[in-house]
Amino acid sequence: MSTTTTGQGNANRTRNLALIVIGTLIVLATYLYLVIAQPTELADNASAPAGLIAMAGYLVGAVLIAAGSIHRLSTVTIAMVPVAIALNIVVGQLVVVLALPVYLDSIGTVLISVLAGPAAGVVTGILTNVIWGLILSPSVLPFAVVQVVIGLMAGYAARYGMFRRVWLAPIAGAVTGVVAAMISAPIAAFVFGGVTAPGTGALVGMFQAWGNSLLASTTFQGLLSDPLDKLLSFTVVVLILTALPSRFLQRFPFVREYRVFRRPGVKAA
Amino acid sequence: MSTTLYVERVSPVHRLNPVTKLVALLCLLVVVFAIAQWWVGVGVLLLVIVPAAVASGCGGVLAGFALRLLLPVLAMLVLVQGLTYPGGQTVLWEWGPLALTTEGLLFAATIGARLACLVCASVLLVLTTHPGELMSALTEKGLSPKFSYIISSTLQLIPSFRDRADSILLAQQARGLAVPRNPLRRLGVLMPLLGPLVLGMFTDVEERSTAMEARGFGSTARRTSLVPVPDTTAQRVARWVMPALAAVAIVAPFVWGSR
Amino acid sequence: MTDQGFVVLDDVTYAYPDADRPVLHGVRLEIAAGSITGVVGASGAGKTTLAKLISGFIPQVDGGDLTGTVSVGGRDLAELSLVEAVGQVGLVIQNPFNQISGAKYTVREEIAFGLENVGTPRAEMAKRVDDVARLLRITDLLDRSPYALSGGQMQLVAIASMLVLRTPVLVMDEPTSQLDPAGTRLVFDVLNTLEEAGLTVIVFEHKQELLQAYADRLLVLAGGRIVADGDPTTVLADDHTEEWGIGATRFTRAARIARDRGLLNGGVLPVSFEQAVETFGGPR
Repeated sequence: MSTTTTGQGNANRTRNLALIVIGTLIVLATYLYLVIAQPTELADNASAPAGLIAMAGYLVGAVLIAAGSIHRLSTVTIAMVPVAIALNIVVGQLVVVLALPVYLDSIGTVLISVLAGPAAGVVTGILTNVIWGLILSPSVLPFAVVQVVIGLMAGYAARYGMFRRVWLAPIAGAVTGVVAAMISAPIAAFVFGGVTAPGTGALVGMFQAWGNSLLASTTFQGLLSDPLDKLLSFTVVVLILTALPSRFLQRFPFVREYRVFRRPGVKAA
Repeated sequence: MSTTLYVERVSPVHRLNPVTKLVALLCLLVVVFAIAQWWVGVGVLLLVIVPAAVASGCGGVLAGFALRLLLPVLAMLVLVQGLTYPGGQTVLWEWGPLALTTEGLLFAATIGARLACLVCASVLLVLTTHPGELMSALTEKGLSPKFSYIISSTLQLIPSFRDRADSILLAQQARGLAVPRNPLRRLGVLMPLLGPLVLGMFTDVEERSTAMEARGFGSTARRTSLVPVPDTTAQRVARWVMPALAAVAIVAPFVWGSR
Repeated sequence: MTDQGFVVLDDVTYAYPDADRPVLHGVRLEIAAGSITGVVGASGAGKTTLAKLISGFIPQVDGGDLTGTVSVGGRDLAELSLVEAVGQVGLVIQNPFNQISGAKYTVREEIAFGLENVGTPRAEMAKRVDDVARLLRITDLLDRSPYALSGGQMQLVAIASMLVLRTPVLVMDEPTSQLDPAGTRLVFDVLNTLEEAGLTVIVFEHKQELLQAYADRLLVLAGGRIVADGDPTTVLADDHTEEWGIGATRFTRAARIARDRGLLNGGVLPVSFEQAVETFGGPR
């Protein structure tokens, strides 16, 4: 529904793509620097501050990816994003009420990524953390990049057919969870000192007592919970969506264009 | 109907331009995260955040939030890093694999002070800034109106969404579906709840987007805003000075450290 | 709010993407500026499609195959961008809860949303919001939250949010479907005010007595074609209304029975209560 002329449209598209690529590179560079340089935080003051680099690198990267993504969204998709964010937050809180041992705070992100593509997932992801910060607790803000990565990965998983069969989605979910755990580990380590919540903190302490570094410990802790959590989230989403009428699903251009679901009665060419 | 933590008061902090507060928050975080000394965080907390909170008239509310959000995490932090910090050398007390070290306690204090700053400063921003004004101010500074639309609209949507989830949950319980004890089965309770929620929320989306387009949402014109956001020259200057100070804080450890 | 509004549809046929047959067939229509035109039709007759066509959303947003032209004030909508088209024709959708942006905290800001989008200067914006609030008599609502309104008030705010853009043409798709009788009256009273202000109003509605009372002209849409067009009373009292799928008011139905039993002779049958009193009341 772009109303810009073609020349301008192309220039904008190039700029948006550049923003996404640069943002992704910054996120990866931040992660690699923190893993390879293994800053030890207090040991010597001359080293670059790990917490600051983790926060700033991820924040700048996430913001660039989101800025490049938002202009790709049609007005219909923009109108869907608040619903997806609300779903993330309300289900995330419901899970706490039901005392389930998982987060399930990215169901909306996965859902919109599958229906409207990775760009929609990215915007939903980053804004979920912004809004969570505004209404519940600001300590989730440094983790915004993780939701962005989940949106990207879920969107591409859908694009490449991982939602065509019910049993493929959990695999995509588990892989996304592994990446999410790795990306979030430096934040948990260098910003939160390994303690984002009492339960996870105890696990990190256990890994450290066994002789692991801080970053390794938060990575292990993440690997214990994130893959399972994202596996469940992806499974929940694929179950919800396959239960919905096909007519509803086929209304979304992304779903039609990339044949995200198997169309009943339509044989693949 | 505002779902954020915003508390309406008349105070000098409330009157500040939201962008000034946001820049202050970011610069403050840069300072406490750039210098790895526990007293920096404590200093910022006591000398900047607490006076600002008192001036805003939201001190009590902030203290309540801070204690609820921070206390469990801080206690755990001291316990975990005090006892298991990998870089610990000066052992004060030892028991099996656990060793209470000075380095660990210092690390916990530094991180703890930073977290206290992060949580208190950002909660204070939210407490003293109306979300609508925050969005207008950011849009004025060039934030895509699509972002501000999504944020404002989500904030208004969440209460009704919660009500809908609650009513579906109640309806399920009325049909005799008690919450089971097994966590996996409890997840099963969630499923029939989500289907109707998703379908219901997404059905109006096309009509809503038509209405938005009819009101020029797709326009590429530079947005204007009906309600002016207050700003002063002093604040405009401050928005340049604060980042400069933050930059000094980034460089300072290298200068000291090399001596 | 003057401007010459003049809506012309020339042999318009339209099919949605992937549809096997068109929803509108060879529609020809000329609507004069400064009038209220009502459109009735059974569900599926193509009302919403026609509304979206006149307001530029078809084919710009929905795609599909369009032949023939739609022009407003002499400008072909196909040659305008959507943003330009919505500057010519305002669209009030069925459900006022979906019409409001949901992103604003007061009615005043909600009404100004469209003006903010197109970059109207602040002073101009404030004046226009006040003007439109006075016109619709909702000045007392301006500082309330859009979520704290009744259905009727919400619809008035939705109409105000379109009127403030000062488009020469206003299309309303079933503006009273969510409203109680009092709210419905309120909206139709506003239509008269708009007509006096020189707007061209096209209202898609099924409440026949109201159309009879307020519209200058009435069109009947059936199976994607305009099957009747004329003075509202004449159209609604026609013997073919059942065939067109729009039914008839109870007064018309009663009068038909009376006529068939020879109790009435000739003349146009009544549509509204007032007309029925005149027809059946007879000379004192």
